Amino acid sequence: MIEPVQIIALATSIFLLGLVLDLVRRKKLTEEYSFVWILCALALLGVAVERRQLDRFALWLGIYYPPAALLLVLTFFVFVASLSFSVVVSRQRQQIERLIEDAALLESRLRELADADRKKSDVNSATDSVASVIV
Amino acid sequence: MRTLVLIPAYNESQNLSQVIQGVRLNVPDAEILVVDDASTDCTASLLPKLGVRWIRLSQQLGTGAAVRTGLRYAAARGFETVVRIDGDGQHPAERIHDLLLPLLRGGADVVIGSRYAGGGATATPRLRRLIHGTLAWILTVLTKRRVTDPTSGFWAFGETALHLLVDHHPSGYPEPELLLFLSRNDLRLVEVPVDMRSRFAGRTSLTPRQTWRATARLLLLLVVVPLRSAVGVTRD
Repeated sequence: MIEPVQIIALATSIFLLGLVLDLVRRKKLTEEYSFVWILCALALLGVAVERRQLDRFALWLGIYYPPAALLLVLTFFVFVASLSFSVVVSRQRQQIERLIEDAALLESRLRELADADRKKSDVNSATDSVASVIV
Repeated sequence: MRTLVLIPAYNESQNLSQVIQGVRLNVPDAEILVVDDASTDCTASLLPKLGVRWIRLSQQLGTGAAVRTGLRYAAARGFETVVRIDGDGQHPAERIHDLLLPLLRGGADVVIGSRYAGGGATATPRLRRLIHGTLAWILTVLTKRRVTDPTSGFWAFGETALHLLVDHHPSGYPEPELLLFLSRNDLRLVEVPVDMRSRFAGRTSLTPRQTWRATARLLLLLVVVPLRSAVGVTRD
């Protein structure tokens, strides 16, 4: 017999899975970062469909109240997701640092080229002036 | 040997002119580069008037990234040695030659000006000396070579170190991590005793919060950096 909690879990997991897939479809979430959420939704779907598996898992862990095991699994997934996002943020920070350095180096190169150009044109105009005086 | 004197600076407009003057007087052949780490004082308007090469970062990235930017600049323009000197006037420019000497003789890849190597640094507060001493002892154990000044910002880099650090110079407050990294990659480090002064003017930009963050980061790095694999050094 299907219990109301199972229906809610089923609906939630299907909604979560649909939401993630839709975000990927609309390119709001890149494929690379969607996998952890898809895994999370599938795990929730699995325990919603096969309630007995959750009971067995809880028993194996020595947890006498099976929904607590579900909470444990969800907490684990949230932890994994947070860690993976920290990795992403760290990588992006390094990339941003590198970009700021690149921009500053390019700016200095441009300035040096402009200075050299200005000096060259100053020399040319001075040479022209001297030439006109001689002529 | 083409030498670039690299001055990372954050809000050092009161000191930069004097520091540059000292460098010009003592190493007239060297080029000078100031890397402004997005200062909020009038450093930006001062830079074009100083008559030196300069780079301005658009966002504050910290000393490590500022130094890395300077090293990238030096490597791209064919400099063979880089001397890093702070923009607050603590480091005596008259000792730059002493830092360059071991590089010129080929006996070192990196030279560090140490305020403790000669047993001096009496001007440094006792608590700070104690912290530096403890950190130096830990770094000596980890790197298996004598480290006396783990936070000195007075460095000279030879060509091998320069090309390695273009991609791998640490961010943040980099000195202890840099020591660990260089040691991990078997670069030859030499310390030279140097008397350091108090900053010319102004106050340090390091806030207590930043100090705690840097300390926490350092404690983690002391564990992690020795476990990282070497990146592979190409000797020129």
